[in-house]
Amino acid sequence: MASPVPVYNSNPLDEHISSTSRESLKMELLADVSLLPGEERIIDKDIIYICPFNGAVKGKVLITNYRLHFKSSDADVVVTLDVPLGAISRVEKMGGASSRGENSYGLDITCKDMRNVRFALKQEGHSRRDIFELLFKYAFPLSHGQLLFAYVTQEKYGENGWDIYKPMEEFRRQGLPNNKWRITFINKSYELCDTYPTLLAVPVNSKDEDLRRVAAFRSRGRIPVLSWIHRENQAVIVRCSQPLVGMSGKRNKDDERYLDVIREANDTAKLTIYDARPSVNAVANKATGGGYEGDEYQNAELVFLDIQNIHVMRESLKKLKDIVYPNVEESHWLSSLESTHWLEHVKLVLSGAIQVADKVSSGNSVVVHCSDGWDRTAQLTSLAMLMLDSHYRTLRGFQVLIEKEWISFGHKFASRIGHGDKNHADQDRSPIFVQFIDCVWQMTKQFPTAFEFNERLLLTILDHLYSCCFGTFLYNCESARDQHEVRSKTVSLWSLVNSRMEMYLNPFYTPESGRVLYPVASMRHLELWVTYYIRWNPRIRQQQQSPVEQRYKELLALRDEYLKKLEELQLSDSPSSRLGNIPTPNTSSSATPPQQYTQLHTPL
Amino acid sequence: MEFSEHIKTANVENVVLRQPLHPPSRGTLCITGHHLLFSDREEEEEEGSGRHVLLLLRNVDAIEKSVENLLAHSGPFCNEGRSQRISGSSGTITIKCKDLRVLQLDIPGMEQCLNIARSIETLSCLDGVSEMYPFFYRPSDVSLQDQWGLSSPENHYSQMKELHDRWRLSTVNRDYLVCPSYPPAVIVPKNTDDDMLEKAAKFRQGGRFPVLCYYHRKNGTVIMRSSQPLTGANRKRCKDDERLLQAVIDGSDKGFIIDTRSSQQALQARMAGGGCESKSCYSGWTRLHRQMERGKALQESLMKLVEACGDESHNMDRWLSKLDNSKWLSHVQTALSTAGLLAECVERDGHSVLVHGSEGTDSTLLISTLAQLIMDPCCRTLEGFLALLEREWVQAGHPFRQRCAHSAFSHARLQQEAPVFLLLLDCVWQLWRQFPLALGFSEALLLRLATEAYVSNYGTFLCNSHQERCALGVKENTHCLFRALLRARERDCYSNPLYEPTELAIWPSVHPQSLQLWRGFFLRWTPQARHLEEAQEEIRNMITEWGKLALS
Repeated sequence: MASPVPVYNSNPLDEHISSTSRESLKMELLADVSLLPGEERIIDKDIIYICPFNGAVKGKVLITNYRLHFKSSDADVVVTLDVPLGAISRVEKMGGASSRGENSYGLDITCKDMRNVRFALKQEGHSRRDIFELLFKYAFPLSHGQLLFAYVTQEKYGENGWDIYKPMEEFRRQGLPNNKWRITFINKSYELCDTYPTLLAVPVNSKDEDLRRVAAFRSRGRIPVLSWIHRENQAVIVRCSQPLVGMSGKRNKDDERYLDVIREANDTAKLTIYDARPSVNAVANKATGGGYEGDEYQNAELVFLDIQNIHVMRESLKKLKDIVYPNVEESHWLSSLESTHWLEHVKLVLSGAIQVADKVSSGNSVVVHCSDGWDRTAQLTSLAMLMLDSHYRTLRGFQVLIEKEWISFGHKFASRIGHGDKNHADQDRSPIFVQFIDCVWQMTKQFPTAFEFNERLLLTILDHLYSCCFGTFLYNCESARDQHEVRSKTVSLWSLVNSRMEMYLNPFYTPESGRVLYPVASMRHLELWVTYYIRWNPRIRQQQQSPVEQRYKELLALRDEYLKKLEELQLSDSPSSRLGNIPTPNTSSSATPPQQYTQLHTPL
Repeated sequence: MEFSEHIKTANVENVVLRQPLHPPSRGTLCITGHHLLFSDREEEEEEGSGRHVLLLLRNVDAIEKSVENLLAHSGPFCNEGRSQRISGSSGTITIKCKDLRVLQLDIPGMEQCLNIARSIETLSCLDGVSEMYPFFYRPSDVSLQDQWGLSSPENHYSQMKELHDRWRLSTVNRDYLVCPSYPPAVIVPKNTDDDMLEKAAKFRQGGRFPVLCYYHRKNGTVIMRSSQPLTGANRKRCKDDERLLQAVIDGSDKGFIIDTRSSQQALQARMAGGGCESKSCYSGWTRLHRQMERGKALQESLMKLVEACGDESHNMDRWLSKLDNSKWLSHVQTALSTAGLLAECVERDGHSVLVHGSEGTDSTLLISTLAQLIMDPCCRTLEGFLALLEREWVQAGHPFRQRCAHSAFSHARLQQEAPVFLLLLDCVWQLWRQFPLALGFSEALLLRLATEAYVSNYGTFLCNSHQERCALGVKENTHCLFRALLRARERDCYSNPLYEPTELAIWPSVHPQSLQLWRGFFLRWTPQARHLEEAQEEIRNMITEWGKLALS
């Protein structure tokens, strides 16, 4: 009650609205909407927005080939709404021509980003027919044989985000190839595995024929390949899909030998295989030809991480949406939150990744898989790498991590998100990537100085996960992206991000290379990411967000000034002078004992 | 009294101390009149690495002991050759502190263990205030002659020039006869005389007649506070009380009374001689009821919460339900939303407000303090906040001694304990979290105050009232916490490096989704909370360092 209700203004994507406004747009109300280059007006209409927070608001809606924009006409309540069409999962007609009651006839729009939008129209003369049909057509272009907006937009940026990830460079940064690991081009035309990238790192002691035989025994040919290698102890994170054991308990000597070769590469006694699934699910997968590594894999131990499948995660987030939009659960909020199990799933993912990271940092190589190795596996390997390798905690490094572990290794973004596809009930949709970003957010909360990027980056990534404005998250795998010429015909999200980096920087970032971060994956220390999941509610939203961002910008400027001065001092003084050996903006970091990072304190 | 009569065993060697965030260590335990001292003698030679723990016995909230005659003592030192005491008896004392720390001492020798336990039990809850440690604490760098306290009602009044037109300082309570829990000087409407105040005081529980606690410069409205009127079953009235309140809203149309009880509770209070202001007798005033939990319910809520936080079992599935069931966060929500209501009346609607519950020493102070933080930028600086606490809690007579006698662990029968002040600090923390730039002080200050209210080297939170403090010579014989917190070094670590003063009111969002468990306090002794504390420290140092060099 005590919180004032500010004007309802939901513009998460406003930061990239181009400044070049189009003079072709001459509508009074919507004159201030500046369209992106390539964005075109489709229809506009007088309409009533049934705002869950301010009630019914009269105004005008504009639909372009990129967005749905609403602005109230009433001067008292300024309500604007900006929804990229890509965020729409379902458009339905609400009420019929004979429906009674005020505002009972109109459109009901379900979004992928934790909100729904309702419009009411006049009941006479099929007033909604044209807008419904056009919205349906442009929100789901792929279902109508049209191009996604990423192929239409003409936006240009100073940076080319497609250059951010070069697989060979990333392998070299990790010190590969070396005497144990080689880079193979066996998949250069996606023959070995059509959902893997073209470059793969595999043990030196495995021949290409071996790889082909192993591929025959792994679901969809997703053979075990290296994701990350520990520079000092040479332990590796290897990812793959489940072995095709099946009901009859098939074995494959090549697969067994191959895993043993991986173990030998850094000479540890046992190779740990993390199966992300609950063991019952792993067993059940045998019925469909899958399974898990049995006792026949000598020198290997198998650990199940109990993470539920995509369907469970989808239902969990749906439950969460039910209690936060449009109305937030007031009484027994925490118990309701608990009953969604969302935080519990986040906990399991994080604690799985902690186990992986801990095993690797103590010198043991690990293999991670789930069923197909593109959902839970991607979560686990990328989070473990974020814990182990400080490079991925930088703004650019984080982009590399997403490009590498998610995009190039075939997390099925197109299927999980359903870009441009009208089939909202598709069972393949699931918020696996959102959950990963949530885990990252939890880590940034627990380690406020360890990440170069800020929360805004995470929000921007999730907004454009749906927006279809950039090519970054389109399609399921590299082969599909090649086929659709994503790199040449669309812009990368990282082009946007890297051309305005200062918006995404954490002023308190203190580089600490070589430190392993172990977040606490206990329910007590996890929080619901309110600023993402409940951000549409103007009463819940954290207030004075802009002064905080402003202050952070000032601090960044102050820090840069400081670094400049420091550099000058270092140049003028001898290197051994009083300030000469301060490598980072933070002079107090030496006071922080390194041990605190190396303790593992997670109830598992 | 001699403390020594309570100390049968003063020193024990070979004691193993287990405490959060540290590995177990072996050393010597020593009990003095006020302290438990543990020192890790093996490492004493290496400078700085020896572990010393100095714990005020007053900090002990509960103690559990178990003694056994054991041969195989399990523990990290059991295989070491020098542990020869293993044959024989030993005991374990678990100490649960008011600052929520849990320590465990393994003491060789059953008798010694029992002696130590008995000493701790007795010395930790000695009754006499003048025997408490603040009367013995004599740091070398400060003198007892230094100024005590930040301000006085007299100073406060004389600085508030804009008050002087319509308000006066009354010393009707100079001998604490009119109201034992009020300070000697209070601010009241100008057109009242002391006689009227005395009569009104007789009509209010504990003599707490309506006094001014906040003047809103922007529109001249005020917050008054008092205790409940003693209308009783016969619906008594008091003309002077009515006139006093009429004088508050003189000239303006109306005022609001925020009663921190439900209307039903307020009606029930009549049976016990209390009650509330009736519409007919106080025609200019509109009563609003907001039920706030108090006393025992609040204490039990804290105990449940702390128990859930300390639950070490691995089955954490039910954590959120447990948190919910403790109801602590819903008390936070009620307090913040009632304070928001109060601030809305004053800042938005421009009406003066009188706040009271029954005694006017707990929830009344809670919401008047929070409302002032919401509205008044002066209260949001480090000094301003401490001065606010001094005015609204220490001088206004929050009975710290009764309320903070025990914290969340004690098995003793509950008497007057209630974590109202802790609830205030939690609410302030929520404000701090929602407005990271608006408050001039840091979370570290709130944590420090949360401990100091229960156990302290300083005299500030001793006793229940100004009168008691005067009688015991607290001012003359102890040091002042607020003064100490404002010394240069302390000031540095208790100020908010991101602070940017704003003239605007800071309206908190009070939805359950906007409120968080104050992990920094309730999970304070976990490595993660400690790590976050260090990170905040690091951020502070960073900003200071940048500022120094960049501007040099």
